[in-house]
Amino acid sequence: MNLLWQGIVNGVLLGGLYALMALGLALVWGVLNIVNLAHGALIMLGGYVCYYLFTGAHIDPFVALPITAAVLFVVGYAIQRRLLNLVIRAPMFNTLLITFGLDVVLTYAAQIAFSADFRTVNPSYAGANFSLLGATVPVVRLLAFVIALALTFGLWLFLTRTPLGRAIRATSQNLVAARLYGVEPRRIYALTFGIGAALAGAAGALYGVVSQLNPYIGTSLTAKSFVIAIIGGLSNPLGVIVGGLVLGLVESMTSLYIGATYTNVASFGILVLVLIVRPTGLLGRTA
Amino acid sequence: MSESLLDVRNLQAGYGEMPVLKDVAFHIGEREIVALVGSNAAGKTTLLRALSGVLSHSGSVRYAGEEIANLPSDAIFARGLVQLPEGRQLFGDMSVHDNLLMGAYRRSDRGNLDADLGEVYRIFPVLGQRKRQLAGSMSGGEQQMCAMARALMARPRLLMIDEMSLGLAPAIVDQLLDVLQSIRSRGVTVLLVEQDVYSALRIADRGYVLEHGHIVREGRARELADDPEVKRAYLGV
Repeated sequence: MNLLWQGIVNGVLLGGLYALMALGLALVWGVLNIVNLAHGALIMLGGYVCYYLFTGAHIDPFVALPITAAVLFVVGYAIQRRLLNLVIRAPMFNTLLITFGLDVVLTYAAQIAFSADFRTVNPSYAGANFSLLGATVPVVRLLAFVIALALTFGLWLFLTRTPLGRAIRATSQNLVAARLYGVEPRRIYALTFGIGAALAGAAGALYGVVSQLNPYIGTSLTAKSFVIAIIGGLSNPLGVIVGGLVLGLVESMTSLYIGATYTNVASFGILVLVLIVRPTGLLGRTA
Repeated sequence: MSESLLDVRNLQAGYGEMPVLKDVAFHIGEREIVALVGSNAAGKTTLLRALSGVLSHSGSVRYAGEEIANLPSDAIFARGLVQLPEGRQLFGDMSVHDNLLMGAYRRSDRGNLDADLGEVYRIFPVLGQRKRQLAGSMSGGEQQMCAMARALMARPRLLMIDEMSLGLAPAIVDQLLDVLQSIRSRGVTVLLVEQDVYSALRIADRGYVLEHGHIVREGRARELADDPEVKRAYLGV
């Protein structure tokens, strides 16, 4: 029983971070219709920015998080304006190709700049934990979970309560009508990609605290984000939380009861199941 | 004749190599209701798309004394040219309330939004009752009311309406035409693009007939409605 409870706690804490990782991918996919294969690389970059702020400038990783997000926002905004705008109306194959190329460039640039060594953001309280009904709760994972949920909720508020957020949703739903009502699509696209990259940066900062960084983590993080975005649906940030929690729990339980090597099998199995039963995602609405 | 708010000359537009509008010229006076009628594929929607800046074109489009041909759509919208597009083009997965707020997206006087929302909910009470409902889940008539309310939230100076009556019950069309009369009395100029020639000419001051990308007739609305050719071609009498 204790093992099951510990597995649930681990899964939920992991799921919150997963949700934040997937949030930017789902946002960009939903608004720009671009499946950003470089999303994981942006998470990786966020991790390194936070790592160097921590080791170089001695800034606590949770304080460095907004700085990391801001840096990645600028990177994302520039990538969209200078690169992705070239293929914004192109078939999806072109956008997949260009973001795949971007992923390769960012990954190998990171290898040159940071080396292939594993690195961890390791604050003094990294080992702190407490017991919750018999389960061990690591403090940094709980903090990461709370921040991930807060950012997801913040994005939901932004999209539903602010004029700019409404413009982003409007652009994703009906581009022609959005243009007729004064929306500048290029600005909205760049802002959306910037926000997606900022969320990836924040996720990367938290990832560096709870796990290990190296230049090659991007591919698997993109795959996880893809699965979560599909499970949760693209239209609602709160759906991404559900998707993240589902994936976190599935991975945790699989690792606990079957074996860690089978976590990807279980994750993609859940993806196939959701696509068959509810193709619009768990919280997506049917037509 | 009232002073021209919109003066279009030698307008040409199309899709790719296919020309649709050929040397179109017309004008609209301040506070006029002008009907632009024509059969299917005459080029009416293309004309509105060009005027709204979502379709590139050549020729002259002077609005309030300023040349606005080929300005981007957001710049045209910011000048008060608002289009109510064919098929309503609502943001279907957003609430009625959010759709109306999108109409006011570019407005800087955000302090007046609540008063304007109250006004459009007074004009269309059904929208007030359904403000939290997703716009895409309403009936066709309610969607058209929502689309018109969204356009009014933009505080248009020139409202361009594409096929307002399409697929709507006559009672709803009458209600919407009454709204147009009412907003004209508040200083809004209206360009009404319609296949329903009878409805359009009923409330318009003047009218133009567009055929195969050309303006082929123009005149006072009553004169056009009495024109034997127009009657035969569009009114079936």
